[in-house]
Amino acid sequence: MDQEVTIGEIKVKVLKDVCIGAATCVAIAPNVFELDENMKAKVIDGANDTKDNIINAAQGCPVKAIIITDAKTGEQIWPK
Amino acid sequence: MTSMSDLQTPNTPTWCPGCGNFPLWMAFKNACIANGWDNSNTTLVAGIGCHGHLVNFTRLTSIEGLHGRPLPLANGIKLANQNLNVFVFTGDGDCLGEGGNHFIHSARRNHHYTVILHDNGLYALTTGQASPVTDHDVKTRSTPEGNPDFPLNPVTMAIASGATFVARVYASDMKLLQNLITQANSHKGFALIDVLQPCETFNKILTHKYYQDNTYYLPENYDPTNKVKAFEISQQFGEKSIACGVIYKEEKETHEEQYQFLKENSLINIDVSKRDINKLFSKYL
Repeated sequence: MDQEVTIGEIKVKVLKDVCIGAATCVAIAPNVFELDENMKAKVIDGANDTKDNIINAAQGCPVKAIIITDAKTGEQIWPK
Repeated sequence: MTSMSDLQTPNTPTWCPGCGNFPLWMAFKNACIANGWDNSNTTLVAGIGCHGHLVNFTRLTSIEGLHGRPLPLANGIKLANQNLNVFVFTGDGDCLGEGGNHFIHSARRNHHYTVILHDNGLYALTTGQASPVTDHDVKTRSTPEGNPDFPLNPVTMAIASGATFVARVYASDMKLLQNLITQANSHKGFALIDVLQPCETFNKILTHKYYQDNTYYLPENYDPTNKVKAFEISQQFGEKSIACGVIYKEEKETHEEQYQFLKENSLINIDVSKRDINKLFSKYL
């Protein structure tokens, strides 16, 4: 089961099987993402950042392994 | 003390999604924070290429030089103020193509600074042409029928040229990269870190998966002072055989240490405002 974390208005999910460990998300949003021991992205405990920056990080993923949804409506924000 | 916000600029990185520059940039910033590198003690130099944008996204005193010429700039900076931490960011094209001569001679002179080689196997900013490290037979935009040339090995070349600290690391291995950046800066002399950096857009061979599958850490009992062994390790580059870590290390007097004046003072401390250079000019006019 992939980890899904609510941060403010959005839910962030990392698809571990899709992630290639490029770490773009870690560089753009270091307060939200880190790489685990298998070089896969994960959401940090207590992650906090702006909605825009988290979406930027997701958009920087070359394999679209980060799914962002609206926490209230469940609508998928990224990838579109 | 340096914080992440101290290093931020208003500019958003323009690198492609998945570019190895992202984790490299992050590892460098983490090293700055851990070591207290800031504008009072650190200067960055970059060449031309995707790597060069790093200085636009990092709030530290920086200069982006002509294509292939970041090393001469670093030589000058280090001679003017030998107490600065100097980091050179350069690509495989910039450093080994246009700047190949500077690389050899700066290593030979053992200038005291760190060269971070963004090694993505081709010229990426210009959309994917063969660089000096592109493998034989590889098809690129400039070699559509396969590269007729054979590649340089930057690690071997650095050791042969006289570099006194030579390391290799995969870009997304941020912990090792941060550690190597710190070690390289502490080392007295010319330090090269060959960063194996996937270019997701133009290099479909040297990918993240390729490096994750084929790199390994040098064992703890590896002796980096053994030059013959270091040459051997540096030459191994293929399936399951790409060594990461400090490959070669040697203690040797630096270029800057050999000037008596620099042992006692720095050139930046000399007041040149009242110096009359007319006499000097008159000799040539």
